[in-house]
Amino acid sequence: MNLVLIVLVVSVIAAVLAAVLVFADTYINNYGECEIDVNEGTRTYTVKGGTSLLGALTDQKLFIPSACGGRGTCGYCKVKVIDGGGPVLPTEDGFLSPEEKKENVRLSCQVKVRGNIKIRIPDDLLSVREFTCVCSRIRELTYDIREFRFTLEEPDSITFVPGQYVQLLSPVYAGSSEEVYRAYSISSNPADTAAIELVIRLVPGGICTTYCFEHLKEGSPVRFNGPYGEFRMSDTDAPMIMIAGGSGMAPFNSILHQMKSTGCTRTAVYFFGARKVRDLFYIDEMRAFEKELPNFTFIPVLSEPQGEQWDGETGLVTEAVQRHFNDASGHEAYLCGSPGMIDASIVVLKKLGVPEDRIYYDKFS
Amino acid sequence: MKQTVQMQELEALMRSSQIVAGGFLGSDTRPLSEIIEADEADVAALGATLDGLGAKMAELTAAGKRGLGTAVAVGDGLSVRVEESRGLLICPWPNHGRFLKTETIVTRLDTGVSIHWSDLSAHLIAAHGFFQGRGSAFRVEPRDLVAMLSLYHPSSEHPSGTS
Ligand SMILES: Cc1cc2nc3c(=O)[nH]c(=O)nc-3n(C[C@H](O)[C@H](O)[C@H](O)COP(=O)(O)OP(=O)(O)OC[C@H]3O[C@@H](n4cnc5c(N)ncnc54)[C@H](O)[C@@H]3O)c2cc1C
Ligand code: FES
Ligand SMILES: [Zn+2]
Repeated sequence: MNLVLIVLVVSVIAAVLAAVLVFADTYINNYGECEIDVNEGTRTYTVKGGTSLLGALTDQKLFIPSACGGRGTCGYCKVKVIDGGGPVLPTEDGFLSPEEKKENVRLSCQVKVRGNIKIRIPDDLLSVREFTCVCSRIRELTYDIREFRFTLEEPDSITFVPGQYVQLLSPVYAGSSEEVYRAYSISSNPADTAAIELVIRLVPGGICTTYCFEHLKEGSPVRFNGPYGEFRMSDTDAPMIMIAGGSGMAPFNSILHQMKSTGCTRTAVYFFGARKVRDLFYIDEMRAFEKELPNFTFIPVLSEPQGEQWDGETGLVTEAVQRHFNDASGHEAYLCGSPGMIDASIVVLKKLGVPEDRIYYDKFS
Repeated sequence: MKQTVQMQELEALMRSSQIVAGGFLGSDTRPLSEIIEADEADVAALGATLDGLGAKMAELTAAGKRGLGTAVAVGDGLSVRVEESRGLLICPWPNHGRFLKTETIVTRLDTGVSIHWSDLSAHLIAAHGFFQGRGSAFRVEPRDLVAMLSLYHPSSEHPSGTS
Protein backbone atom coordinates (compact mmCIF):
# COMPACT_ATOMS: atom_id res chain seq x y z
CA MET A 1 0.00 0.00 0.00
CA ASN A 2 2.84 2.35 1.04
CA LEU A 3 4.71 1.51 -2.16
CA VAL A 4 1.64 2.30 -4.27
CA LEU A 5 1.33 5.66 -2.49
CA ILE A 6 5.01 6.50 -3.09
CA VAL A 7 4.74 5.59 -6.80
CA LEU A 8 1.61 7.71 -7.08
CA VAL A 9 3.23 10.73 -5.39
CA VAL A 10 6.38 10.45 -7.54
CA SER A 11 4.24 10.17 -10.70
CA VAL A 12 2.23 13.25 -9.77
CA ILE A 13 5.39 15.27 -8.96
CA ALA A 14 6.95 14.22 -12.29
CA ALA A 15 3.80 15.21 -14.18
CA VAL A 16 3.64 18.61 -12.43
CA LEU A 17 7.36 19.27 -13.11
CA ALA A 18 6.92 18.37 -16.79
CA ALA A 19 3.93 20.73 -17.05
CA VAL A 20 5.92 23.55 -15.35
CA LEU A 21 8.83 23.01 -17.78
CA VAL A 22 6.54 23.12 -20.82
CA PHE A 23 4.84 26.26 -19.44
CA ALA A 24 8.17 27.94 -18.69
CA ASP A 25 9.55 27.05 -22.10
CA THR A 26 6.47 28.35 -23.88
CA TYR A 27 5.73 31.52 -21.93
CA ILE A 28 8.80 32.57 -19.96
CA ASN A 29 11.84 31.66 -22.07
CA ASN A 30 12.54 34.37 -24.58
CA TYR A 31 14.76 33.16 -27.38
CA GLY A 32 14.51 36.50 -29.23
CA GLU A 33 14.95 36.66 -32.97
CA CYS A 34 16.67 33.71 -34.61
CA GLU A 35 17.96 33.24 -38.13
CA ILE A 36 17.21 30.14 -40.19
CA ASP A 37 19.67 29.63 -43.03
CA VAL A 38 18.42 27.28 -45.76
CA ASN A 39 20.86 25.64 -48.21
CA GLU A 40 23.87 27.83 -47.51
CA GLY A 41 22.16 31.19 -47.82
CA THR A 42 19.73 30.31 -50.67
CA ARG A 43 17.04 31.55 -48.28
CA THR A 44 17.34 33.18 -44.85
CA TYR A 45 14.46 33.85 -42.52
CA THR A 46 14.38 35.85 -39.31
CA VAL A 47 11.86 34.26 -36.97
CA LYS A 48 10.81 34.57 -33.34
CA GLY A 49 12.50 31.75 -31.39
CA GLY A 50 10.59 29.21 -29.36
CA THR A 51 8.54 27.48 -32.06
CA SER A 52 9.28 24.23 -33.85
CA LEU A 53 11.50 24.37 -36.92
CA LEU A 54 8.67 22.88 -39.00
CA GLY A 55 6.23 25.52 -37.72
CA ALA A 56 8.70 28.35 -38.34
CA LEU A 57 9.35 27.18 -41.91
CA THR A 58 5.63 26.72 -42.62
CA ASP A 59 4.99 30.28 -41.36
CA GLN A 60 7.56 31.41 -43.95
CA LYS A 61 5.68 29.37 -46.63
CA LEU A 62 8.48 26.84 -46.91
CA PHE A 63 6.69 23.48 -46.87
CA ILE A 64 8.41 20.34 -45.60
CA PRO A 65 6.40 17.11 -46.16
CA SER A 66 4.33 16.22 -43.11
CA ALA A 67 1.43 13.80 -42.71
CA CYS A 68 0.69 14.29 -39.01
CA GLY A 69 0.67 18.09 -38.74
CA GLY A 70 3.82 18.21 -36.60
CA ARG A 71 2.79 15.79 -33.85
CA GLY A 72 5.88 13.64 -34.32
CA THR A 73 3.93 10.63 -35.50
CA CYS A 74 4.61 10.36 -39.26
CA GLY A 75 8.39 10.77 -39.62
CA TYR A 76 8.04 12.61 -42.98
CA CYS A 77 9.40 16.03 -41.94
CA LYS A 78 13.10 15.18 -42.12
CA VAL A 79 15.67 17.90 -42.82
CA LYS A 80 19.44 18.04 -42.34
CA VAL A 81 20.29 20.37 -39.47
CA ILE A 82 23.88 21.44 -40.08
CA ASP A 83 24.11 23.70 -37.04
CA GLY A 84 22.01 24.70 -34.04
CA GLY A 85 19.51 21.87 -33.70
CA GLY A 86 20.46 20.64 -30.23
CA PRO A 87 20.53 16.94 -29.34
CA VAL A 88 18.28 14.32 -30.98
CA LEU A 89 15.15 13.88 -28.83
CA PRO A 90 13.71 10.53 -27.75
CA THR A 91 10.62 11.36 -29.87
CA GLU A 92 12.81 11.37 -33.00
CA ASP A 93 14.85 8.30 -32.22
CA GLY A 94 12.57 5.66 -33.72
CA PHE A 95 12.33 7.54 -37.03
CA LEU A 96 16.04 8.01 -37.70
CA SER A 97 18.42 5.35 -39.02
CA PRO A 98 22.02 5.32 -37.71
CA GLU A 99 23.16 6.74 -41.10
CA GLU A 100 20.62 9.57 -40.86
CA LYS A 101 21.75 10.40 -37.34
CA LYS A 102 25.36 10.55 -38.55
CA GLU A 103 24.29 12.95 -41.29
CA ASN A 104 22.43 15.19 -38.78
CA VAL A 105 19.01 14.38 -40.20
CA ARG A 106 16.27 15.49 -37.79
CA LEU A 107 12.49 15.59 -37.57
CA SER A 108 11.85 19.29 -38.13
CA CYS A 109 8.66 19.21 -36.05
CA GLN A 110 10.68 18.09 -33.00
CA VAL A 111 13.56 20.58 -33.38
CA LYS A 112 12.94 23.78 -31.48
CA VAL A 113 14.28 27.08 -32.79
CA ARG A 114 16.28 28.36 -29.82
CA GLY A 115 19.01 30.21 -31.71
CA ASN A 116 20.41 30.54 -35.23
CA ILE A 117 19.96 27.35 -37.26
CA LYS A 118 21.47 26.14 -40.54
CA ILE A 119 19.55 23.52 -42.48
CA ARG A 120 19.82 21.70 -45.81
CA ILE A 121 16.79 20.51 -47.78
CA PRO A 122 16.34 19.13 -51.32
CA ASP A 123 16.20 22.09 -53.75
CA ASP A 124 12.79 20.89 -55.03
CA LEU A 125 11.20 21.79 -51.69
CA LEU A 126 12.00 25.46 -52.27
CA SER A 127 9.28 25.62 -54.93
CA VAL A 128 6.58 23.84 -52.91
CA ARG A 129 3.52 26.04 -52.38
CA GLU A 130 0.27 25.79 -50.48
CA PHE A 131 -2.81 25.87 -52.71
CA THR A 132 -6.43 26.63 -51.93
CA CYS A 133 -8.89 25.30 -54.46
CA VAL A 134 -12.40 24.04 -55.09
CA CYS A 135 -13.37 20.48 -55.87
CA SER A 136 -14.84 21.03 -59.32
CA ARG A 137 -15.56 17.45 -60.40
CA ILE A 138 -15.78 13.97 -58.88
CA ARG A 139 -15.86 11.04 -61.31
CA GLU A 140 -16.48 7.43 -60.29
CA LEU A 141 -13.83 5.29 -62.04
CA THR A 142 -14.57 1.96 -60.30
CA TYR A 143 -16.57 0.92 -57.22
CA ASP A 144 -13.67 2.02 -54.99
CA ILE A 145 -11.65 4.47 -57.11
CA ARG A 146 -12.64 8.04 -57.91
CA GLU A 147 -11.05 10.87 -59.85
CA PHE A 148 -11.13 14.26 -58.12
CA ARG A 149 -10.55 17.50 -60.02
CA PHE A 150 -9.46 20.49 -57.96
CA THR A 151 -9.62 23.90 -59.66
CA LEU A 152 -6.97 26.20 -58.19
CA GLU A 153 -7.86 29.51 -56.57
CA GLU A 154 -4.77 30.82 -54.72
CA PRO A 155 -2.28 30.56 -56.36
CA ASP A 156 -4.27 30.00 -59.54
CA SER A 157 -1.75 27.87 -61.43
CA ILE A 158 0.68 25.05 -60.71
CA THR A 159 3.83 23.77 -62.37
CA PHE A 160 4.75 20.16 -61.71
CA VAL A 161 6.70 17.33 -63.26
CA PRO A 162 4.54 14.29 -64.14
CA GLY A 163 5.18 11.66 -61.46
CA GLN A 164 5.13 14.17 -58.59
CA TYR A 165 2.59 14.12 -55.78
CA VAL A 166 0.80 16.59 -53.51
CA GLN A 167 -0.11 16.42 -49.82
CA LEU A 168 -3.88 16.77 -49.49
CA LEU A 169 -5.34 18.13 -46.26
CA SER A 170 -7.98 15.95 -44.65
CA PRO A 171 -9.80 18.33 -42.28
CA VAL A 172 -11.56 17.47 -39.03
CA TYR A 173 -14.88 15.70 -39.72
CA ALA A 174 -17.31 13.53 -37.77
CA GLY A 175 -15.25 10.40 -37.05
CA SER A 176 -11.84 12.05 -37.35
CA SER A 177 -10.84 14.61 -34.76
CA GLU A 178 -7.50 15.62 -36.33
CA GLU A 179 -6.25 17.41 -39.44
CA VAL A 180 -3.92 15.12 -41.38
CA TYR A 181 -2.17 15.27 -44.75
CA ARG A 182 -1.92 12.36 -47.20
CA ALA A 183 0.14 12.03 -50.38
CA TYR A 184 -1.57 11.64 -53.77
CA SER A 185 0.14 11.48 -57.18
CA ILE A 186 -1.05 14.03 -59.70
CA SER A 187 -2.83 12.27 -62.55
CA SER A 188 -3.58 15.20 -64.85
CA ASN A 189 -1.92 16.77 -67.85
CA PRO A 190 0.89 19.13 -66.72
CA ALA A 191 -0.21 21.53 -69.47
CA ASP A 192 -3.49 21.99 -67.58
CA THR A 193 -2.00 24.39 -65.03
CA ALA A 194 -5.31 25.72 -63.64
CA ALA A 195 -6.28 22.46 -61.93
CA ILE A 196 -4.99 19.10 -60.77
CA GLU A 197 -6.66 15.70 -60.87
CA LEU A 198 -6.06 12.92 -58.36
CA VAL A 199 -7.06 9.26 -58.57
CA ILE A 200 -7.93 8.04 -55.09
CA ARG A 201 -8.77 4.53 -53.93
CA LEU A 202 -11.00 4.18 -50.89
CA VAL A 203 -9.24 2.50 -47.97
CA PRO A 204 -12.09 1.31 -45.70
CA GLY A 205 -11.72 3.06 -42.37
CA GLY A 206 -8.92 5.29 -43.73
CA ILE A 207 -8.89 8.88 -42.45
CA CYS A 208 -8.33 10.82 -45.67
CA THR A 209 -10.02 8.49 -48.15
CA THR A 210 -13.17 8.35 -45.99
CA TYR A 211 -13.13 12.16 -46.06
CA CYS A 212 -12.75 12.18 -49.85
CA PHE A 213 -15.47 9.58 -50.49
CA GLU A 214 -18.03 10.52 -47.84
CA HIS A 215 -17.57 14.20 -47.02
CA LEU A 216 -15.90 15.94 -49.97
CA LYS A 217 -18.47 17.15 -52.52
CA GLU A 218 -18.29 19.09 -55.78
CA GLY A 219 -17.98 22.73 -54.68
CA SER A 220 -16.17 21.92 -51.41
CA PRO A 221 -13.09 24.00 -50.58
CA VAL A 222 -9.84 21.99 -50.56
CA ARG A 223 -6.25 22.65 -49.48
CA PHE A 224 -3.08 20.89 -50.53
CA ASN A 225 0.61 21.61 -50.75
CA GLY A 226 3.18 20.43 -53.23
CA PRO A 227 4.44 19.35 -55.66
CA TYR A 228 6.81 16.81 -54.09
CA GLY A 229 8.82 13.81 -55.21
CA GLU A 230 11.53 12.69 -57.55
CA PHE A 231 9.62 9.97 -59.42
CA ARG A 232 9.63 11.08 -63.06
CA MET A 233 10.51 9.99 -66.58
CA SER A 234 14.23 10.16 -67.32
CA ASP A 235 15.47 12.16 -70.30
CA THR A 236 17.13 9.18 -72.01
CA ASP A 237 15.81 7.31 -75.08
CA ALA A 238 15.79 3.91 -73.36
CA PRO A 239 12.64 1.84 -73.91
CA MET A 240 10.39 1.89 -70.86
CA ILE A 241 8.51 -0.78 -68.95
CA MET A 242 5.74 0.73 -66.80
CA ILE A 243 4.02 -1.39 -64.16
CA ALA A 244 1.10 -0.22 -62.03
CA GLY A 245 -1.93 -1.40 -60.13
CA GLY A 246 -4.98 0.39 -58.69
CA SER A 247 -4.43 4.09 -58.00
CA GLY A 248 -0.82 3.61 -59.21
CA MET A 249 -2.34 4.53 -62.60
CA ALA A 250 -2.22 8.23 -61.63
CA PRO A 251 1.40 9.22 -62.35
CA PHE A 252 1.46 7.23 -65.62
CA ASN A 253 -1.63 9.02 -66.90
CA SER A 254 0.18 12.30 -66.30
CA ILE A 255 3.44 11.01 -67.88
CA LEU A 256 1.52 9.82 -70.97
CA HIS A 257 -0.10 13.25 -71.35
CA GLN A 258 3.39 14.76 -71.25
CA MET A 259 4.70 12.25 -73.83
CA LYS A 260 1.80 13.14 -76.12
CA SER A 261 2.24 16.89 -75.83
CA THR A 262 6.01 16.69 -76.39
CA GLY A 263 5.67 14.29 -79.35
CA CYS A 264 7.75 11.69 -77.49
CA THR A 265 8.48 8.59 -79.60
CA ARG A 266 10.09 6.46 -76.87
CA THR A 267 9.02 2.84 -76.77
CA ALA A 268 6.87 2.19 -73.72
CA VAL A 269 4.96 -0.90 -72.62
CA TYR A 270 2.54 -0.28 -69.77
CA PHE A 271 1.32 -3.29 -67.72
CA PHE A 272 -1.67 -2.52 -65.51
CA GLY A 273 -2.63 -5.22 -62.97
CA ALA A 274 -6.18 -5.59 -61.65
CA ARG A 275 -8.28 -8.39 -60.17
CA LYS A 276 -11.43 -8.24 -62.28
CA VAL A 277 -12.89 -6.28 -65.18
CA ARG A 278 -14.69 -4.08 -62.66
CA ASP A 279 -11.27 -2.95 -61.32
CA LEU A 280 -10.16 -1.57 -64.70
CA PHE A 281 -10.46 2.13 -65.53
CA TYR A 282 -9.10 4.75 -67.99
CA ILE A 283 -9.20 2.02 -70.65
CA ASP A 284 -10.55 4.39 -73.34
CA GLU A 285 -7.90 6.96 -72.40
CA MET A 286 -5.13 4.35 -72.64
CA ARG A 287 -6.39 3.08 -76.03
CA ALA A 288 -6.41 6.73 -77.23
CA PHE A 289 -2.77 7.13 -76.09
CA GLU A 290 -1.93 3.97 -78.06
CA LYS A 291 -3.22 5.71 -81.21
CA GLU A 292 -1.55 9.04 -80.42
CA LEU A 293 1.86 7.73 -79.28
CA PRO A 294 3.57 5.72 -82.05
CA ASN A 295 5.46 3.31 -79.77
CA PHE A 296 3.15 2.93 -76.78
CA THR A 297 1.41 -0.33 -75.82
CA PHE A 298 -1.07 -0.77 -72.98
CA ILE A 299 -1.48 -4.26 -71.49
CA PRO A 300 -4.15 -4.70 -68.80
CA VAL A 301 -3.72 -7.95 -66.84
CA LEU A 302 -6.46 -9.61 -64.76
CA SER A 303 -5.57 -11.93 -61.88
CA GLU A 304 -9.13 -13.20 -61.27
CA PRO A 305 -10.70 -13.40 -64.75
CA GLN A 306 -12.75 -16.53 -63.91
CA GLY A 307 -16.36 -16.08 -65.10
CA GLU A 308 -15.58 -12.77 -66.84
CA GLN A 309 -15.74 -11.85 -70.51
CA TRP A 310 -12.03 -11.30 -70.96
CA ASP A 311 -9.63 -12.29 -73.71
CA GLY A 312 -6.68 -10.19 -72.55
CA GLU A 313 -3.66 -11.13 -70.41
CA THR A 314 -4.29 -13.07 -67.21
CA GLY A 315 -2.36 -13.97 -64.04
CA LEU A 316 -0.27 -11.71 -61.85
CA VAL A 317 0.98 -8.54 -63.51
CA THR A 318 4.56 -9.68 -62.89
CA GLU A 319 3.87 -12.96 -64.75
CA ALA A 320 2.67 -10.96 -67.77
CA VAL A 321 5.88 -8.92 -67.71
CA GLN A 322 7.91 -12.12 -67.61
CA ARG A 323 5.97 -13.57 -70.56
CA HIS A 324 6.50 -10.42 -72.61
CA PHE A 325 10.29 -10.06 -72.38
CA ASN A 326 13.21 -12.48 -72.63
CA ASP A 327 15.86 -9.86 -72.04
CA ALA A 328 15.05 -6.35 -70.85
CA SER A 329 18.61 -5.31 -70.04
CA GLY A 330 18.38 -2.17 -72.21
CA HIS A 331 15.17 -1.00 -70.57
CA GLU A 332 14.25 1.41 -67.82
CA ALA A 333 11.40 0.41 -65.51
CA TYR A 334 8.86 2.65 -63.77
CA LEU A 335 6.71 1.25 -60.98
CA CYS A 336 3.76 2.61 -59.03
CA GLY A 337 1.48 0.58 -56.81
CA SER A 338 1.43 -1.35 -53.57
CA PRO A 339 4.73 -2.11 -51.80
CA GLY A 340 4.14 -5.84 -52.50
CA MET A 341 3.70 -5.21 -56.23
CA ILE A 342 6.83 -3.06 -56.28
CA ASP A 343 8.91 -5.72 -54.47
CA ALA A 344 7.64 -8.50 -56.76
CA SER A 345 8.24 -6.38 -59.89
CA ILE A 346 11.82 -5.59 -58.85
CA VAL A 347 12.58 -9.31 -58.51
CA VAL A 348 11.19 -10.05 -62.00
CA LEU A 349 12.83 -7.02 -63.64
CA LYS A 350 16.23 -7.91 -62.20
CA LYS A 351 15.82 -11.46 -63.55
CA LEU A 352 15.10 -9.95 -66.97
CA GLY A 353 18.34 -7.97 -66.75
CA VAL A 354 17.10 -4.48 -65.87
CA PRO A 355 19.83 -2.90 -63.72
CA GLU A 356 18.59 -1.92 -60.26
CA ASP A 357 19.59 1.71 -60.75
CA ARG A 358 17.25 1.92 -63.74
CA ILE A 359 14.19 0.76 -61.79
CA TYR A 360 12.34 3.89 -60.62
CA TYR A 361 9.58 4.15 -57.98
CA ASP A 362 8.58 6.35 -55.06
CA LYS A 363 10.47 5.22 -51.98
CA PHE A 364 8.29 6.36 -49.12
CA SER A 365 9.33 4.01 -46.36
CA MET B 1 -1.50 -4.02 -14.36
CA LYS B 2 -1.28 -0.47 -13.03
CA GLN B 3 -2.63 2.42 -15.12
CA THR B 4 0.51 4.61 -14.94
CA VAL B 5 0.77 8.24 -16.11
CA GLN B 6 2.45 6.97 -19.31
CA MET B 7 -0.44 4.55 -19.78
CA GLN B 8 -2.93 7.42 -19.37
CA GLU B 9 -1.08 9.48 -22.00
CA LEU B 10 -1.04 6.47 -24.29
CA GLU B 11 -4.76 5.95 -23.72
CA ALA B 12 -5.48 9.59 -24.62
CA LEU B 13 -3.51 9.17 -27.87
CA MET B 14 -5.39 5.95 -28.60
CA ARG B 15 -8.79 7.56 -28.06
CA SER B 16 -7.89 10.36 -30.55
CA SER B 17 -7.76 10.08 -34.36
CA GLN B 18 -4.08 11.06 -34.47
CA ILE B 19 -2.99 7.70 -35.87
CA VAL B 20 -6.13 5.94 -37.14
CA ALA B 21 -9.68 7.18 -37.72
CA GLY B 22 -11.74 6.88 -34.56
CA GLY B 23 -8.74 5.68 -32.52
CA PHE B 24 -7.98 2.19 -31.23
CA LEU B 25 -10.42 1.92 -28.34
CA GLY B 26 -13.80 2.10 -30.08
CA SER B 27 -16.62 2.57 -27.59
CA ASP B 28 -14.79 0.67 -24.84
CA THR B 29 -14.76 2.72 -21.63
CA ARG B 30 -12.42 0.37 -19.71
CA PRO B 31 -8.93 1.72 -18.94
CA LEU B 32 -6.27 0.55 -21.41
CA SER B 33 -4.49 -1.57 -18.78
CA GLU B 34 -7.73 -3.42 -18.02
CA ILE B 35 -8.41 -4.16 -21.70
CA ILE B 36 -4.91 -5.59 -22.12
CA GLU B 37 -5.10 -7.61 -18.91
CA ALA B 38 -8.45 -9.19 -19.80
CA ASP B 39 -7.35 -10.19 -23.30
CA GLU B 40 -4.00 -11.55 -22.11
CA ALA B 41 -5.86 -13.72 -19.59
CA ASP B 42 -8.10 -15.03 -22.41
CA VAL B 43 -5.06 -15.85 -24.56
CA ALA B 44 -3.43 -17.76 -21.71
CA ALA B 45 -6.68 -19.64 -20.95
CA LEU B 46 -6.84 -20.69 -24.61
CA GLY B 47 -3.34 -22.17 -24.30
CA ALA B 48 -1.89 -19.71 -26.81
CA THR B 49 0.95 -17.18 -26.59
CA LEU B 50 1.25 -13.69 -28.06
CA ASP B 51 4.52 -14.65 -29.78
CA GLY B 52 2.90 -17.70 -31.35
CA LEU B 53 -0.10 -15.70 -32.58
CA GLY B 54 2.17 -12.94 -33.93
CA ALA B 55 4.35 -15.42 -35.81
CA LYS B 56 1.36 -17.09 -37.49
CA MET B 57 -0.22 -13.76 -38.42
CA ALA B 58 3.08 -12.64 -39.98
CA GLU B 59 3.33 -15.90 -41.96
CA LEU B 60 -0.25 -15.58 -43.22
CA THR B 61 0.34 -11.98 -44.29
CA ALA B 62 3.51 -13.01 -46.12
CA ALA B 63 1.61 -15.85 -47.87
CA GLY B 64 -1.21 -13.48 -48.86
CA LYS B 65 1.19 -10.84 -50.18
CA ARG B 66 2.33 -13.24 -52.88
CA GLY B 67 -1.16 -12.94 -54.41
CA LEU B 68 -0.66 -9.19 -55.10
CA GLY B 69 -4.24 -8.44 -54.03
CA THR B 70 -5.71 -11.77 -55.16
CA ALA B 71 -6.79 -14.40 -52.60
CA VAL B 72 -4.36 -17.26 -51.97
CA ALA B 73 -5.52 -20.66 -50.64
CA VAL B 74 -3.71 -21.67 -47.43
CA GLY B 75 -4.03 -24.02 -44.47
CA ASP B 76 -7.06 -26.23 -43.80
CA GLY B 77 -9.64 -24.51 -46.02
CA LEU B 78 -8.55 -20.89 -45.57
CA SER B 79 -8.01 -18.14 -48.10
CA VAL B 80 -5.91 -15.08 -47.41
CA ARG B 81 -5.95 -11.80 -49.27
CA VAL B 82 -3.73 -8.81 -48.59
CA GLU B 83 -4.77 -5.25 -49.48
CA GLU B 84 -1.95 -2.73 -49.47
CA SER B 85 -2.03 1.06 -49.58
CA ARG B 86 1.05 3.20 -49.83
CA GLY B 87 2.03 4.98 -46.62
CA LEU B 88 3.02 4.19 -43.05
CA LEU B 89 1.36 4.14 -39.63
CA ILE B 90 3.19 4.37 -36.32
CA CYS B 91 2.70 2.26 -33.23
CA PRO B 92 1.14 4.44 -30.50
CA TRP B 93 3.68 3.18 -27.92
CA PRO B 94 6.58 5.69 -27.90
CA ASN B 95 9.35 4.98 -30.44
CA HIS B 96 7.94 1.64 -31.42
CA GLY B 97 8.27 1.62 -35.16
CA ARG B 98 6.30 2.19 -38.33
CA PHE B 99 4.11 -0.22 -40.25
CA LEU B 100 2.88 -0.38 -43.83
CA LYS B 101 -0.83 0.25 -44.40
CA THR B 102 -1.37 -3.41 -45.15
CA GLU B 103 -4.57 -5.26 -44.33
CA THR B 104 -4.76 -9.06 -44.24
CA ILE B 105 -8.17 -10.72 -44.62
CA VAL B 106 -8.37 -14.43 -43.73
CA THR B 107 -11.55 -16.30 -44.65
CA ARG B 108 -12.76 -19.82 -43.80
CA LEU B 109 -13.89 -21.23 -47.12
CA ASP B 110 -16.50 -23.55 -45.50
CA THR B 111 -18.34 -20.92 -43.44
CA GLY B 112 -17.32 -17.66 -45.13
CA VAL B 113 -16.36 -16.27 -41.69
CA SER B 114 -13.40 -13.92 -41.91
CA ILE B 115 -11.15 -11.91 -39.65
CA HIS B 116 -8.83 -9.10 -40.61
CA TRP B 117 -5.80 -7.34 -39.21
CA SER B 118 -3.40 -4.64 -40.34
CA ASP B 119 0.39 -4.88 -39.97
CA LEU B 120 -0.03 -2.38 -37.12
CA SER B 121 -2.81 -4.30 -35.36
CA ALA B 122 -0.80 -7.55 -35.64
CA HIS B 123 2.14 -5.77 -34.01
CA LEU B 124 -0.12 -4.39 -31.26
CA ILE B 125 -1.25 -7.93 -30.46
CA ALA B 126 2.16 -9.61 -30.65
CA ALA B 127 4.27 -6.94 -28.95
CA HIS B 128 1.81 -5.31 -26.55
CA GLY B 129 -0.96 -7.89 -26.00
CA PHE B 130 -3.38 -5.20 -27.21
CA PHE B 131 -6.35 -6.55 -29.18
CA GLN B 132 -7.99 -3.03 -29.22
CA GLY B 133 -11.14 -1.80 -27.52
CA ARG B 134 -14.63 -3.12 -28.17
CA GLY B 135 -16.20 -1.35 -31.12
CA SER B 136 -12.85 -0.63 -32.82
CA ALA B 137 -12.97 -1.72 -36.49
CA PHE B 138 -9.75 -3.67 -35.93
CA ARG B 139 -10.63 -5.36 -32.63
CA VAL B 140 -10.36 -9.12 -32.87
CA GLU B 141 -11.57 -11.41 -30.08
CA PRO B 142 -8.68 -13.58 -28.84
CA ARG B 143 -10.81 -16.75 -29.11
CA ASP B 144 -11.74 -15.97 -32.76
CA LEU B 145 -8.12 -15.31 -33.66
CA VAL B 146 -6.86 -18.46 -31.94
CA ALA B 147 -9.58 -20.56 -33.66
CA MET B 148 -8.82 -19.15 -37.11
CA LEU B 149 -5.04 -19.49 -36.75
CA SER B 150 -5.38 -23.10 -35.58
CA LEU B 151 -6.49 -23.90 -39.16
CA TYR B 152 -3.22 -22.64 -40.59
CA HIS B 153 -0.16 -24.82 -40.85
CA PRO B 154 2.63 -23.20 -42.86
CA SER B 155 3.48 -26.44 -44.70
CA SER B 156 -0.03 -26.65 -46.20
CA GLU B 157 0.24 -23.40 -48.16
CA HIS B 158 -0.49 -23.51 -51.90
CA PRO B 159 1.40 -20.43 -53.11
CA SER B 160 0.13 -20.43 -56.67
CA GLY B 161 -3.43 -21.47 -55.90
CA THR B 162 -6.10 -18.82 -55.92
CA SER B 163 -9.63 -19.01 -54.71
C1 LIG C 1 4.16 9.17 -52.57
C2 LIG C 1 2.77 8.62 -52.36
C3 LIG C 1 1.83 8.76 -53.37
C4 LIG C 1 0.53 8.25 -53.18
N1 LIG C 1 -0.38 8.39 -54.19
C5 LIG C 1 -1.63 7.89 -54.05
C6 LIG C 1 -2.60 8.00 -55.11
O1 LIG C 1 -2.33 8.58 -56.17
N2 LIG C 1 -3.83 7.48 -54.88
C7 LIG C 1 -4.17 6.83 -53.71
O2 LIG C 1 -5.32 6.38 -53.59
N3 LIG C 1 -3.26 6.72 -52.69
C8 LIG C 1 -2.02 7.23 -52.84
N4 LIG C 1 -1.11 7.13 -51.79
C9 LIG C 1 -1.57 6.58 -50.49
C10 LIG C 1 -2.20 7.70 -49.65
O3 LIG C 1 -1.22 8.64 -49.29
C11 LIG C 1 -2.83 7.20 -48.33
O4 LIG C 1 -1.88 6.51 -47.57
C12 LIG C 1 -4.03 6.31 -48.56
O5 LIG C 1 -5.00 6.98 -49.35
C13 LIG C 1 -4.68 5.92 -47.23
O6 LIG C 1 -4.93 7.09 -46.50
P1 LIG C 1 -6.07 7.16 -45.39
O7 LIG C 1 -5.85 8.40 -44.60
O8 LIG C 1 -7.42 6.96 -46.01
O9 LIG C 1 -5.79 5.87 -44.53
P2 LIG C 1 -5.11 5.83 -43.07
O10 LIG C 1 -6.12 6.23 -42.08
O11 LIG C 1 -3.84 6.56 -43.07
O12 LIG C 1 -4.76 4.29 -42.96
C14 LIG C 1 -5.75 3.28 -43.13
C15 LIG C 1 -5.15 1.96 -42.74
O13 LIG C 1 -4.89 2.00 -41.34
C16 LIG C 1 -5.05 0.73 -40.79
N5 LIG C 1 -5.96 0.88 -39.63
C17 LIG C 1 -7.11 1.61 -39.56
N6 LIG C 1 -7.65 1.53 -38.32
C18 LIG C 1 -6.81 0.73 -37.60
C19 LIG C 1 -6.82 0.27 -36.26
N7 LIG C 1 -7.79 0.59 -35.40
N8 LIG C 1 -5.82 -0.54 -35.88
C20 LIG C 1 -4.81 -0.89 -36.72
N9 LIG C 1 -4.76 -0.49 -38.00
C21 LIG C 1 -5.75 0.32 -38.44
C22 LIG C 1 -5.61 -0.17 -41.83
O14 LIG C 1 -4.56 -0.93 -42.35
C23 LIG C 1 -6.10 0.75 -42.92
O15 LIG C 1 -5.90 0.10 -44.12
C24 LIG C 1 0.19 7.61 -51.97
C25 LIG C 1 1.14 7.48 -50.94
C26 LIG C 1 2.41 7.97 -51.13
C27 LIG C 1 3.40 7.83 -50.02
S1 FES D 1 5.47 16.23 -39.13
FE1 FES D 1 4.98 14.17 -38.71
S2 FES D 1 6.74 13.54 -37.61
FE2 FES D 1 7.16 15.60 -38.00
ZN1 LIG E 1 4.72 -1.10 -30.61
